[in-house]
Amino acid sequence: MESLATILPASAMAEEPKDMPDADLPGSRRPDAVVRPGATEDVAALMEWATREGVGVLPIGSGRRAHPVRGDGRFVVLRTDGLAGLETYEAADLTLSAGAGTPFGTVAAALAENAQWAPFDPPRIDQRSLGGLVANGLSGPLHMGYGELRNHVLGLTVVTGDGRTLRLGGRVVKNVAGFDLLKAVVGSRGSLAIITSVVLRAFPVPPVDRTLYVEGATVGELLKHALEVGTAPVLPASSVIVDALAAAGGRPALVVRLHGAEATVAADQRRLEEHVGLTFRVDSGVDHAGVRDHASLGDVLLAASARPSRLGAVLDALDALTPTALSVDSYGGRVRAASAVPTGEVIDSVRSRIEDVGGALRLFAPSMDGRAAELSTRPRPGEQALVEGLRSAFDPGGVLWPARF
Amino acid sequence: MTEPLPAALVRQLRSTVGDDHVITDPNRLLVYESDGLSAYRVRPRAVVLPASTEEVAEVVRVLHAAEIEIVPRGAGTGLSGGALPTPDGVVVGTARMNRVLEIDARDRIARVQPGVVNARLTDATRPHGLYYAPDPSSQSTCTLGGNVAENSGGPHCLKYGVTTRYVTGLTVVLAGGEVVRLGGAGREVADGLDLVGLFVGSEGCFGIATEIEVRLLPLAEGVRTLLGIFDTMEAAGHAVTSIIASGLMPAAVEIVDKATIRAVEASVFAAGYPTDAGAALVIEFDGTEEGLDADADRAEACCLAAGAREVRRARSEEERLGLWKGRKKAFGAMGRIAPDLLVQDATVPRTRLPEVLAKITEIGVRYDLQIANVFHAGDGNLHPNLLFDRADPDQMARVEAASHEIMSLCVDVGGTITGEHGVGVDKRGYMTLVHNEVELDMLRRVRRVFDAEGLFNPGKVIPDEEIDAVAGVGAS
Repeated sequence: MESLATILPASAMAEEPKDMPDADLPGSRRPDAVVRPGATEDVAALMEWATREGVGVLPIGSGRRAHPVRGDGRFVVLRTDGLAGLETYEAADLTLSAGAGTPFGTVAAALAENAQWAPFDPPRIDQRSLGGLVANGLSGPLHMGYGELRNHVLGLTVVTGDGRTLRLGGRVVKNVAGFDLLKAVVGSRGSLAIITSVVLRAFPVPPVDRTLYVEGATVGELLKHALEVGTAPVLPASSVIVDALAAAGGRPALVVRLHGAEATVAADQRRLEEHVGLTFRVDSGVDHAGVRDHASLGDVLLAASARPSRLGAVLDALDALTPTALSVDSYGGRVRAASAVPTGEVIDSVRSRIEDVGGALRLFAPSMDGRAAELSTRPRPGEQALVEGLRSAFDPGGVLWPARF
Repeated sequence: MTEPLPAALVRQLRSTVGDDHVITDPNRLLVYESDGLSAYRVRPRAVVLPASTEEVAEVVRVLHAAEIEIVPRGAGTGLSGGALPTPDGVVVGTARMNRVLEIDARDRIARVQPGVVNARLTDATRPHGLYYAPDPSSQSTCTLGGNVAENSGGPHCLKYGVTTRYVTGLTVVLAGGEVVRLGGAGREVADGLDLVGLFVGSEGCFGIATEIEVRLLPLAEGVRTLLGIFDTMEAAGHAVTSIIASGLMPAAVEIVDKATIRAVEASVFAAGYPTDAGAALVIEFDGTEEGLDADADRAEACCLAAGAREVRRARSEEERLGLWKGRKKAFGAMGRIAPDLLVQDATVPRTRLPEVLAKITEIGVRYDLQIANVFHAGDGNLHPNLLFDRADPDQMARVEAASHEIMSLCVDVGGTITGEHGVGVDKRGYMTLVHNEVELDMLRRVRRVFDAEGLFNPGKVIPDEEIDAVAGVGAS
């Protein structure tokens, strides 16, 4: 790795691989080098070098979702936290840009100073880097009222596997100048390019953020109410079932958020209660972080999806895994579950049952290493060819080592 | 001169879609020579109108085997020449694929064929209390397939977002005739690469979408529409900035300028806007009835504080349509002023609107051209309309030069060359204003992933590698 020091500034060389904390790369063999570039140009130089030398590159943002690296091959860990800091914030235009390594908390704090926010809430968002969030592409339940994360990302600066720098999208909400490569990169989990900078769309903080909940004996019973919420004449900001809500004494509950002016929210609540046929408890003490992060920690994390009306069958199928925690975003047709490590047969059977109702199942299982990838959603054959084509267009040398989950 | 298709090939296409649905008669081909951007005209070798995914796949397979270019076409309302035929190519139209295949009110999903007209989808879902949000101005004629190709917007996209937000799944026919299903309800967007998001807005260069699955929204319970009359465009621009900065979320914020007001008021579409006004601002709120008056009051206060001469508020649906009339009929009214109209499309950061509009006025004066502005102010999406007579070559040259300056201006302030109309052929030459050669090369590579030989809609979106950097009206 000597030649690496000649292409990167000394400031971009991070700790010695042997000194890398195990928590940043749990259960993995050590990399051959660790770098912390401070500029897109340094990332470009690194990627060009990596392709030339045939060295793998593993990007680590907050390090929360790193996947164990085993097997052969030289590789470099690219820490993105050197690419941190707000770049521009045009509050009147509701746009903000920041380096990919910027902690989301820094972004949220800057927005909050102007009574603005970024309305997405994937699990443990407050521990993640902006680039990591975009690479992961998960939206959280607020997609019900605000759309998916991909719609909030206006622009990206990325470096391809072979060191080409691309500016995708821009700083304006409407932009159709060329193919929408940005959409392919959002959620690509590091498989197409290294994200170095992100332009986000900001929203005004709603005057009222009202939290409603209703308890139920089981998640299945609450699902009926949640589906009714999903067909109501008003669209809440989010609606999610957790199998244990602290505010409800650890019982299962359906938690709904309504955003807007006081008069609107009060009327929306009435409409919702009439439509669903029950009275919600209003509780400003509900811990949204707890709801958001529910079922996001465990040996095995499962993400199942299906059309909302088929979620009953999905929940029945997941029963076989005896989940230790469960959350259901019925509007998005998404179930999150945490469980102990299951056998391959059980997983296969659960997945078949979910696929039979047109759904899909993914596993995030650091302790299962390569098997988790095998067990994740299989792209359809036609999709697979396109995915492979895109990967070679973005990373012709195959040096990007994406997080495989 | 367009070469007719070999007779054997025509027979093969007819056996697939039926005799009546392969058009080779030059008179019938006339209507397919251009889309909404009529400055460009090319006669295709034939037009094929398949009725199903299977027929599209077979037609594409046959044409691909014969190495014939394919130009997909919806209703032909596009304004960037995206459906302009190529002299060697065949147009594959989706007009016969106009069925709504499924409305699932419970899951709020609809599945349609690409030839379904945008407004017809909402007609079909309204009885379920649902609607399809993106509403391009041409929604009474444009099709969902065309909307997917162009990632279309519309006035209400300020609050609700553009087409890409609503498309959850696609069935597409790729080069060679392969049918591939992308995404779909039941799969998360974040589950694998977002191929649906990538396909939306690909302007017919990746393939043909033959089934489109979209998310529906509940119909808004109420609506409030305001019309602010301003002495200057600058004051109207400040009102927009202040409305958005105050945290209000209008469904639409639209501006028409003085030239447009005068054109409308002098036409059969007269809407009662004062002809001495510098700008008129249409603001609409929708949603739960109870909060709407308060929102409208706050927006009215913003307008008055910015110097509005008066603010009108619709008290009935009839009055609402009246307030919108000046905006909606603007393009029709401009036909009175000049024989030809070039509807430009660009986006700038919203706070730069007053400055950009002043400069556009200055460009119009310098080139001695009439420019009338109608635009989606809430998201900074400008539509400067250049009025001209194509019979005058000198005027054509000035329109081209002024267009180029306007595009450069928008890019310089942090905007882009198209907000919702697409690149097509019209904006191809401007792509170098927003993308460097590395980025253009990447667009070419991605296109090849979907269509290795480049038979789908060649000559669109991406400049040729050796293209000159000049384009615009009249360029070919």
